Amino acid sequence: MALAIKAEGIYKSFYTGWLKRSEKQVLRGIHLEVEKGEIFGILGPNGAGKTTLLSILSTLLFPDRGQIEILGMDSRREAHRIREKVNLSSGNANFLWSMTVEENLHFYGMLYGLAGHRRNQKVKELISLLGLEEHRGVSFDRLSTGMKQRLALAKSLLNDPSVLFLDEPTVGLDPSVSVWIRQQIQMIQKERGMTILLTTHNMREAERLCDRIAFLKDGRILTAGDPDSLKRMVRLGDLIKIEFEGRVEEDELGRIEGVINYSVTNGLCEVIVDEGERRLGPLITKLSEDGVKIKRVTLGQTDLEEVFLEFSKSSNSDMGLYLQELDHDQAKYL
Amino acid sequence: MTKRNIFSLFEILFWPVVGFFSVGLLTTFLDLDPNRTGFILIGIISMSVIQVCQIDVAEALLYDLWAKSMKHTFIAPIHPHQLLLGSWIIGVIRSLVVFLLLALFSLFVFDFDFLRPGVFPLSLFLLGLFLTSASVGMTVCILILVFGYKAEVAAWSLSSLMALICGIYYPISILPTPLPEIARGIPLTYFLAYLRSFYGFQEGFQSLLRWGFGLAGFYLIVEVILFRIVLHRAKRTGMILKLSE
Ligand SMILES: Nc1ncnc2c1ncn2[C@@H]1O[C@H](COP(=O)(O)OP(=O)(O)O)[C@@H](O)[C@H]1O
Ligand SMILES: [Mg+2]
Repeated sequence: MALAIKAEGIYKSFYTGWLKRSEKQVLRGIHLEVEKGEIFGILGPNGAGKTTLLSILSTLLFPDRGQIEILGMDSRREAHRIREKVNLSSGNANFLWSMTVEENLHFYGMLYGLAGHRRNQKVKELISLLGLEEHRGVSFDRLSTGMKQRLALAKSLLNDPSVLFLDEPTVGLDPSVSVWIRQQIQMIQKERGMTILLTTHNMREAERLCDRIAFLKDGRILTAGDPDSLKRMVRLGDLIKIEFEGRVEEDELGRIEGVINYSVTNGLCEVIVDEGERRLGPLITKLSEDGVKIKRVTLGQTDLEEVFLEFSKSSNSDMGLYLQELDHDQAKYL
Repeated sequence: MTKRNIFSLFEILFWPVVGFFSVGLLTTFLDLDPNRTGFILIGIISMSVIQVCQIDVAEALLYDLWAKSMKHTFIAPIHPHQLLLGSWIIGVIRSLVVFLLLALFSLFVFDFDFLRPGVFPLSLFLLGLFLTSASVGMTVCILILVFGYKAEVAAWSLSSLMALICGIYYPISILPTPLPEIARGIPLTYFLAYLRSFYGFQEGFQSLLRWGFGLAGFYLIVEVILFRIVLHRAKRTGMILKLSE
């Protein structure tokens, strides 16, 4: 497969202060390869350097060091040609306040060299694609955040980009609006086969939307891969929650094969095992044999959030205890 | 490759017309002789033309500065000089409208005829004003890329400062040193002197047009180079990103 984005050894520092200059290292050696037609996610907490990386890839910022090729073009020497083929939409996008949705699209259409009939056509198409019909005459400053995001997406499609950069496309949106935006992104990508590089600090978003994900923290990519293999790689263990009546022998629990950690409080027993699905049966059997009446069993599967935390936390902490603090809202009910 | 917002005509014309009449009526009140009235009217009209035209050039980046949308302009495949040129052309058109209107007012209200030097000299004079405006507007753009929001004041103050130095309402000879010397480094001074020379005012220096256009061209070339340098710098320091959030 051909690469849409290839970045090698990207470093970037910012300097602040006129007199006393202080350096802030934001990116420290990023390697990234994104294939054509992929939705690639960069996942990282605030301040990780996501926007900085995206800006460098989209020619808005020069790296201190490193090589970048976008669609086979060198980002230094062929920046202008790259700009014809890429576009950017950011979550907290700003456009000209006093201009309406339609005027903004026309204005940026002009910057992309669209004129006359072609521009009218394009603007109309994008307004209907993103469901902005009712807001076409509303000025930017009176749009809701969701509508602003839609406008940002529409603007980023003006030049039918081959590579689309999305910087936190659903930041600050209501869940229902986020879902809609994600569906649109997926649909548009499927229809046009473009490459999408998106950043997010939302694990679920990355998991649902992306073919591959890279974890970015403190200016480094911790690991990259597809969501499932990332989860498999970490093997954090799964959490089994058992609501019961009777008495559970705590010592017994620890001796069952595959159990990493456990806790028992009145009526609730939480066990962390290496492989949830394999250990669940024997565990229940054992408890039943001991005369415990089981009311409900929940198997919580590792999700990306835990994978990420696992990768970014410092070494030699107690994996089992750590996991118990997490909330398992993706639990599977048996 | 042009720039945004077709401001309503009213908005463009309001301040120039108000300024024109307040100064024009002042000359009536002072009971100045027709030539002096002409001297001052040339000044106020030139100033209006430059204000309107330079702000249009500056708006190539000013709007993005206000809207915090800078990165969307710079990610588009448009060369900055196309952007500036487009803005300048809009500025020329709009300030020409301002000039025509104010020239008509001068003729009918204050009995001052801008066409007395002839169409060609008047055109040269206007071209001089437009080039001067381009220079001022580009300076504002350069300052924006270096200083960000702090540069906003430049948009308003640069042309007023120029008015003070270049002799909008008075000959530069009445200025204390070193201001007249500075004025001689600014093209506007020469264009004003050129037009006024048709109405019997001599500033006492020669080859007005050559100096005016020479300086204007020189500044524009320097500014084009500077613009490239500061844009490069803005991409290094992240100024474009800072002006986008
Ligand atoms: N133009 C800039 N000048 C100075 N520091 C910057 C600039 N842009 C970003 N930073 C700093 O770089 C770090 C990473 O920022 P950013 O890439 O925006 O992170 P993210 O998008 O992951 O939240 C932050 O600590 C931020 O303060
Ligand atoms: Mg960011």
